[in-house]
Amino acid sequence: MLKIRRIRRLAWIAMGTTAALAGLWSASQAQSANAPFTEAQARAGRAAYATNCGGCHLANLAGVGEQPPLAGAGFMAAWGRRTTKEFYDDIRAQMPYGRAGSLDAATYQTIVAFILLANGAHAGTKEFDGSETVRISAIANGQVPADIANPPRRGGGGDEGGGGGRAPAMTLGQTLVGNIKKYTPVSDAMLVHPDPKDWLIYRGNYQAWSHSGLKQVGDSNVDQLQLKWSWAMNEGGENATGPTIHDGIMFLANTSNTVQALDARTGELLWENRLGPLATRAYSALRSLAVYEDKVYINATDARLYALDAKTGKLVWRTDIAEQGKGFNETGGLIVAHGKVIVGLTLCRGQMPHCYISAYDAKTGKQAWKFTTIAAPGTPGGDTWGNVPDDMRAGGETWIAGTYDPELNITYWGTAQSKPWMQASRRSGTASTLYANTTLALDADSGALKWYYSHAPGETFDLDEVFERVLIDHGAQKTLMTIGKAGILWKLDRVTGKFLDAKQTVFQNVYSGINKKTGQLIFRPDVLTQKTNTWISACPSAAGGHDWPPTSYDPANDLMIIPLNQSCNMMLGHDVAQHTGVVQPEGEERLFFMPGTDGNMGRLAAYRTSTMEPVWSFQQRSSFLTGVLSTDGNLAFVGDYDRTFRAVQTTTGKTLWTVRLPTVVQGNPVTYEVDGKQYIAITTGLGGGSPFSKPSSMLGELHHPDHGHAVYVFALPDKLTQKLN
Amino acid sequence: MRCRRLALSAIVLAGAFAGAVQAAEQKYATRLTAVAYDGAMRANVQGDGQVSATLDGSKLTVSGRFTSLPSSATSARLYSGAGIGVPGSALLDLQLNGQTDGSLSGSFTLNSKQLAALRQGHVYVQINSQKAPEGNLWGWLLPDHPFPGVDVPEQGHGFLPQLDVPGNWIEK
Repeated sequence: MLKIRRIRRLAWIAMGTTAALAGLWSASQAQSANAPFTEAQARAGRAAYATNCGGCHLANLAGVGEQPPLAGAGFMAAWGRRTTKEFYDDIRAQMPYGRAGSLDAATYQTIVAFILLANGAHAGTKEFDGSETVRISAIANGQVPADIANPPRRGGGGDEGGGGGRAPAMTLGQTLVGNIKKYTPVSDAMLVHPDPKDWLIYRGNYQAWSHSGLKQVGDSNVDQLQLKWSWAMNEGGENATGPTIHDGIMFLANTSNTVQALDARTGELLWENRLGPLATRAYSALRSLAVYEDKVYINATDARLYALDAKTGKLVWRTDIAEQGKGFNETGGLIVAHGKVIVGLTLCRGQMPHCYISAYDAKTGKQAWKFTTIAAPGTPGGDTWGNVPDDMRAGGETWIAGTYDPELNITYWGTAQSKPWMQASRRSGTASTLYANTTLALDADSGALKWYYSHAPGETFDLDEVFERVLIDHGAQKTLMTIGKAGILWKLDRVTGKFLDAKQTVFQNVYSGINKKTGQLIFRPDVLTQKTNTWISACPSAAGGHDWPPTSYDPANDLMIIPLNQSCNMMLGHDVAQHTGVVQPEGEERLFFMPGTDGNMGRLAAYRTSTMEPVWSFQQRSSFLTGVLSTDGNLAFVGDYDRTFRAVQTTTGKTLWTVRLPTVVQGNPVTYEVDGKQYIAITTGLGGGSPFSKPSSMLGELHHPDHGHAVYVFALPDKLTQKLN
Repeated sequence: MRCRRLALSAIVLAGAFAGAVQAAEQKYATRLTAVAYDGAMRANVQGDGQVSATLDGSKLTVSGRFTSLPSSATSARLYSGAGIGVPGSALLDLQLNGQTDGSLSGSFTLNSKQLAALRQGHVYVQINSQKAPEGNLWGWLLPDHPFPGVDVPEQGHGFLPQLDVPGNWIEK
């Protein structure tokens, strides 16, 4: 009897399965009847995708970070209602990243064929030639074939496939062991009062001033600057770094997590350690490294923290900042404070744990503390996410290294926006979604929260407030100043977190006002009534009025010099599927030039920090893509997308010197002195998120090579230096 | 003597009137650039243009030119949205001359709502074309302001629409 029942059950299952398969077959037949590509095209497209796209969008087309999914529900939400021709035109106009339009038409066509196949479309008999205007939802359903959804994993730090940012093949490991004789261990006192001859900390000092007391190069002789040496850096990935200098040694973070020590006077290589993994996509910059005592520290892009011997480059210790293989990422650099290495964390979206800031014993690498930047239900601030479940509370990433006040023993960090970007998509209402877009003041020894300030509660357009926290004393008042993507320059009391003042530096239309007593921003009314799948305008765009290229503070003139970007976008938020572990489709963007700018995307402006009054500003077509370095020579150095590195007079903004470099000037300029000569160093680099991609898309008349990562070092002619000394 | 005084008074009055007229006249301008676009739209929303407008009382006179559209212009209109840089709905038709290069013009008496929108910078010019029927070029009409030139510093913050156009920024 049991046997008969089992047979009957099996028969039912078989019938059900047959019916289901028949249904699927029928559906697939319906799709294949209209699919405007061939199997051969899709096969070729798979290889072309792996070479040109997979590094950013991943081998399973799931997307990561700012790179949208190209298969599944996310892709269908964005493209289902549009046509195959529109999709073809889109990727041809914008891809591969940084090399738009560089493939031949047939290759773009095969890539489209593969992406359609990856979304459940079935190959037909007619070749896709780019002109077919078939609605994508009519031929694809977003169901990803198993062999594409679960491709064989490659080694490395979570990056898979190829792409525009893929590093050339090279051997990893230590390629040159150093034997540096003259190296003075870096003490806490040296970090608190850095010697102007050195550039010891990411932004020059703990306060993130990016200012140097050196003045051999000044506004009266800067026009005589000349190239002294240069050094080609690793290609692939995103190059947006700044050298660290100590005792005449330049420590340089390359892409693919390669660390080098160079003679800062001549550019001679002293040691090199290629930690890996190789970069596979044009994102994730190593923005800085740190030196402390006898070690060099680097938070690698695969969320590992390394300590290397400063004299030899040999590995001393290594620790995981986050679990490996889950795609966690480091991109913001790090800071050493009071014996601890403090790092942030990024790409923790739609998965647990949430992002956190963590500290490690500088001698041993043992974790000392961790502060989670997303407030969980039932914890302080946990009610600021509405009804969003804990495992869907995403964002709050920390992708810019913090600053430190040694007297207060507080480290200050900014956090990125909550995700998905748009209120309507994340279903959190206008609640503040703590601790997204917040300044965090943490005890450097314990990680305990001293205070927080939420800059943009309910922010909804990918307008991070994550950037540098600059510490400036105004008389007895200790302040913290910061500026986020909305372009609002904030001044807070850094002892208490109290709002003091705010100033608009670039056009924005997201907020229609501010309460000057509390700092509470007032949203434009239609922002509050937004709906998913509806376009809504935002100025600035996600490239930010201000982005990662940091400000500089010149204490002698009380001027903060700010690189600003001018572009706007229309944004459309998707209905986001609430699944843990899924990379969430966030939104779509359409770009346009900012009203009132005459098509100029770059703006450099100086503000007096005591009064918050603007002193000068100028505009140019190209976006600025470096931080600003100011010096006691009344100079401020800055570089841009159009390959120009320049010096302006700090007090007037007048350009005094320019040089055109081989490719995009991207990174952080620094200055230092060796043997009585002042040097100015800057990197060129490609890759990166919105600040790089927006001008790439909007400034079609500006061209640059798709390679050329390097560091360039300038100084005055030797004869002039001798005269000045 | 009396005639002279009257003549002088007439001259002064005329001057004052002209001054008042001039003071009442407000100049607006914009550069026309591509509407919001993605890669799929990019090829169809190219081009450039310049528009100036004069508001005299409630009378608005608009003139401009455009060049290098990828397809022939089909219409040009004034639109108004909920803010500077915020697209909205059509207000008034402009007269269009030319195809991929050409000019536009119009003269209107604005009602109080339209006047308020213009003064707040919420009105924009949009040219639609055959391949971009929902918008090819646009530009927001903002108070005409001197631009010192690329890379030339100016004192203060320069022109920032939401600070320099009344009604776009509230400080409580």
